[in-house]
Amino acid sequence: MPRLLATLATLRGDPRLLKLPPYLSLSCIVVGVVWLLLLPLDEFSRRTYISENALLPGQVNTYFGGSDRNVFQAYRHEIDALAEKTNYEINDELENILRGIGLKVGRQNYTYHSAGHTYAGENAYAILHAPRGDATEAIVLVTAWKNVKNEFNRNGVALGLALARYFKRWSLWSKDIILVVTPDSRAGIQAWVDAYHDTHDSSRVASLPIKSGLLQGAVAIDYPHREGGFDGVHVVYDGVNGQLPNLDLINSVSYIANGQMGLHSFIQERFQHSDKYDDRLRTMLRGMMNQGLGHAVGAHSSFIPYHVDAVTLQPVGNGWHDEMGFGRLVESAFRSLNNLLEHLHQSFFFYLLMHKDRFVSIGTYLPSAMLIAVNFTIMAILMWVKSGSGEGASQPTVSTIVTGKGTVEEKKEVVTATPSTPTTPERDIYLPLGIVIACHFLGALPLFIFNHTPSHLLAPIFLVFSIFNITLPPFISSLANLTPANGLTLQHFYVLKCFSLLLLGMFLSSLATLNFSLAFLVGLVSSPLSFTSPWPSNTTVRYAYAALLNILSPPAVILAGVAAYAHYGASGTTLLGALEHVLREAAFGWDVWGLYIPVVVCLGRYGLEVWLPDLTYFGLGLDEESLGQTLYLTFYDLDAEEEDQIYHSPPDSRGKLVLQMLDVLMLHPRFPIVWN
Amino acid sequence: MRSFLSYLIPLLFLVFDVFASDYHEQLNLKPLPQSSLLASFNFRSNTTLTQFAAHNFRYFPRSLGQILQHVGTRELHLRFSLGRWDAESWGARPWDGTKEGGTGVELWAWLEADTEEEADHKWLTLTNALSGLFCASLNFIDETRTTRPVMSFRPEGDHGPAIDRMHLLHGVLPHEIVCTENLTPFLKLLPCKGKAGISSLLDGHKLFDATWQSMAIDIRPLCPPGQECVLQIEQTIDMVLDIERSKRPRAGEEWSLDQLFGKYLKGTCPLTDPDVPPVCIQVPERRDIFSTGGAVEIKNPNGLSRCYQISPERDFSMILPRMPRDGDNPKTTADEHVQPGTPLLYAERSFTGHGQERGGVQSILTNPSPDTEVEFVYMESLPWFMRVYLHTLKARVEGTSGAKDDLIEEIYYRPALDRARGTQLELRMRVPPASTVFLTYDFEKSVLRYTEYPPDANRGFDVAASIITILPSTSPNAPPTLQKTSNLRTTSLLLSLPTPDFSMPYNVIIFTSTAIALAFGGLYNILVRRFVGADEGPEEVGGLRGKIALLVAKLKSVTKGKVD
Repeated sequence: MPRLLATLATLRGDPRLLKLPPYLSLSCIVVGVVWLLLLPLDEFSRRTYISENALLPGQVNTYFGGSDRNVFQAYRHEIDALAEKTNYEINDELENILRGIGLKVGRQNYTYHSAGHTYAGENAYAILHAPRGDATEAIVLVTAWKNVKNEFNRNGVALGLALARYFKRWSLWSKDIILVVTPDSRAGIQAWVDAYHDTHDSSRVASLPIKSGLLQGAVAIDYPHREGGFDGVHVVYDGVNGQLPNLDLINSVSYIANGQMGLHSFIQERFQHSDKYDDRLRTMLRGMMNQGLGHAVGAHSSFIPYHVDAVTLQPVGNGWHDEMGFGRLVESAFRSLNNLLEHLHQSFFFYLLMHKDRFVSIGTYLPSAMLIAVNFTIMAILMWVKSGSGEGASQPTVSTIVTGKGTVEEKKEVVTATPSTPTTPERDIYLPLGIVIACHFLGALPLFIFNHTPSHLLAPIFLVFSIFNITLPPFISSLANLTPANGLTLQHFYVLKCFSLLLLGMFLSSLATLNFSLAFLVGLVSSPLSFTSPWPSNTTVRYAYAALLNILSPPAVILAGVAAYAHYGASGTTLLGALEHVLREAAFGWDVWGLYIPVVVCLGRYGLEVWLPDLTYFGLGLDEESLGQTLYLTFYDLDAEEEDQIYHSPPDSRGKLVLQMLDVLMLHPRFPIVWN
Repeated sequence: MRSFLSYLIPLLFLVFDVFASDYHEQLNLKPLPQSSLLASFNFRSNTTLTQFAAHNFRYFPRSLGQILQHVGTRELHLRFSLGRWDAESWGARPWDGTKEGGTGVELWAWLEADTEEEADHKWLTLTNALSGLFCASLNFIDETRTTRPVMSFRPEGDHGPAIDRMHLLHGVLPHEIVCTENLTPFLKLLPCKGKAGISSLLDGHKLFDATWQSMAIDIRPLCPPGQECVLQIEQTIDMVLDIERSKRPRAGEEWSLDQLFGKYLKGTCPLTDPDVPPVCIQVPERRDIFSTGGAVEIKNPNGLSRCYQISPERDFSMILPRMPRDGDNPKTTADEHVQPGTPLLYAERSFTGHGQERGGVQSILTNPSPDTEVEFVYMESLPWFMRVYLHTLKARVEGTSGAKDDLIEEIYYRPALDRARGTQLELRMRVPPASTVFLTYDFEKSVLRYTEYPPDANRGFDVAASIITILPSTSPNAPPTLQKTSNLRTTSLLLSLPTPDFSMPYNVIIFTSTAIALAFGGLYNILVRRFVGADEGPEEVGGLRGKIALLVAKLKSVTKGKVD
């Protein structure tokens, strides 16, 4: 034992020990990424199964059909006649139809303002009272007038009406059934769900005149006009802010479609799935991208933050199934939900799906994001040790320690000189702490600007902002170099970097438990910052560094995303048009859905962009990463708090602190994934 | 209002008759809008108190009578309800809502006792006995679900001086699902036991397919002036049938009694008062009705209802044909059913807020009358794990009449004690004419001990309906419906509490058990054993040889001892 302690003591003073953390950190990142790539293998993923026995999916006979076809066609005829009418005229007619069926009808107005646009409309909804129930529980059928792609949901609305009429005939419902018809799939349904839970801002969204009980589940039908029949169903499940519905719900729908209906089922828009490694990986990554972006991908998305499990169903492919078949699928899903005795809770809420019946649960995938977060913590510890080793503690300023070579020599000197009695100099932590906090709050500036700008100015302002970001740091640093008496020592920078990395690691690891994909993606993008070395003296290398930092900066990433979107997603639009669109979507997500992801991304990214180069150009021998981290942290930190709130409170109650740049990227529903 | 009154007229008429006969029964049918039908079954029998005391029960069910005598119950009300009354479409409630309960089972009784402890003890006995009799979980009405209402309930019977010793106890089981097993004992209490008379229509399949349904038992002593006091048991079943659904698979607008109930009415109960027509229906005069042979139609002079005297021996049914909308004698919707009366008050209650920490309750009370104020007692009995913040109780009025601050006139509040009793809140308040009052309060959700969760913890916890007792108006020109007490109940609510993942406690239990088993087992093993060197211990040889060797050794030691 004493020998071991002695060995450890010598090891502690060993300068080689200080060289170890960067390699450890790098291996964490590599292992984390490899871990993620291993997930699609059979050994790491599991087959899905239905955990809640009460669901009994596909075990009932479905009777929707026969004369209901005539009813459906009659409703569709009525709906077609309304296609060009205004929202209020449509709702008047819908109210007549629904009252005729014998349902209680309510209507609700809402008005949202975002990026200079007004999103207003009126929702119509009807409650079918459970024949023997007493309004304690309800399930929701959503048929938005327009789907997320803004297509007229012609069959969907008619099917909703026909199903409501058909459901009314049965006495077996144990829960109320609510049919909601919203004018769009984005703002209207959010207004309805908020008002149902009394968390709406009553100046923008009206209260609901009639209500039912606890919502136990929701199914949205997205069935625009299409030629011919279909042979598969696309299950869309991502919720706002990357929250997911209970896996049992998705599995039940898949199970009903595959088993009872003889339909294929698909997820994440992978309509050709070989169930081989590459398809699984693509499906999983696409799911991660949707989760990371956190935007609403269907009318169901707004339900999920309220812990109401919901999916959107879309018909796909060409086959012999018609609208009645789709109705039977919904009927069977409703019968399953109706069977539920308890709120869905048995199965997973945190999972990555890679095939309709293959998934990994949080226990398996979480380590990859955690390892990436750990790399920052390791570097933070290293920085703390370095700052305490005396290195650079009393070095006055810039000019003396600028070169990396000098630093290394010094380090050696210090270490060898004091192996047994290491002198731990006083660390001045207030200045670095102040810088970290200031960076955090700076993020509010771009958030405010981009959320209060009319949409036609968004793209120009963004470009101005980007140019400003690139040019300002060198300008400031050259200015700063003119004033030599700036009292910053190398130790300050170590401590600064330490705090930044520590916070980054902490926030990323807590974020990983809430939104794995976002934490993973952000961690990956910011990982190079851990390894930037002190400012190189070589001019070429220096400018290469600056360029790299700019490429990793949020505006650059957003621009790249927008370019990809303009190219793949919305061909024909100009880059500027796409940029404006994406930024407007981001503002919409912020104003209506209460996305927090933009906050994380934009704030951190902007701060990084503006300040990181700035400080690097100071020529103080500062590691640029520390500042970058600071900024990253800034937004992460906000993010984590936000998230916590978001998880437990409705979207509107969170403080609007931050920017929304990246979220912009993520917001757009059609944002194409690079690997797609 | 008038139509509803007329609905009651045959009943009022019967009140005079009640004491003459010992038993009477009547079925009242009332078609409602949206192809619904309200069917009210009423059975009533009397026994004089002296005979009751002498255990001569006559038409009074013996099983119930003995329980009442055993626990000194003076007055008892038991309700089994399912579904919800759609006041918006169906109008005022049958019997002014006095014969219905909240969803599930509701029981209140006046017990004779000297102290509260004695009353509690008797209440426990009563609930347990009734639980067995009615196959309902009434025994789960423990002290946390029992309240002692102060303002909401008044005795209906004539109690005389005994009223000072009576204790009112009230309990609700909102999660109890009423079903066939409750109907069977209910029918067994009747003299004709569902074999003849109107009770022969009662069938579990149809009754529990009803959109709304309420079974009530009321027992009260009555002392008509100049006559002997009697103990009256009144059993009522009210149900709203969806006509289209009940007569499936047959379609069409025409319906008949046997289609809806699945069987014919089998004559009359021979014990019933022959003067009371057993079946009445409330329809406008122009509505065509065909009845089976042997039945005599008696039209009420007001033209809104008619009754049928039926043959005791023959099956009875009636057919309401489709009303021709054109032709010689066109009929309108107004001819199809009597317009339902407007209720005195609409009440709706729901939760507000979301999350697992706190929430709120909002009750919306609407007075539809343009000129009459409604005064009522609003009573909530809430489970203890809903911690009400009484300071957040607010009443806000919206309506045409000027806002008044004194909506709540009196508050009786008995706070909850954790795991001992629930919250009891009674508010005497009023709603001005043509206005809506929003009554809101906030509460906090407790975290339960994990053994306190029911097996279906994630379903949530049922919160009993709030009971609204509309007080009789004091003003002389109030409408007749306001001249007497009427009741109203909101729907029950489902409260979701923070629920742990129940696999966790079991994981912990299993893990700690394993650790203890390993550590304790090893330690115990070490403590109770004596360790000796292998060469120090007796050399043990198994089998017969060993035994012989042992014997030899013993003998040796004995002989050695002797030698010493």
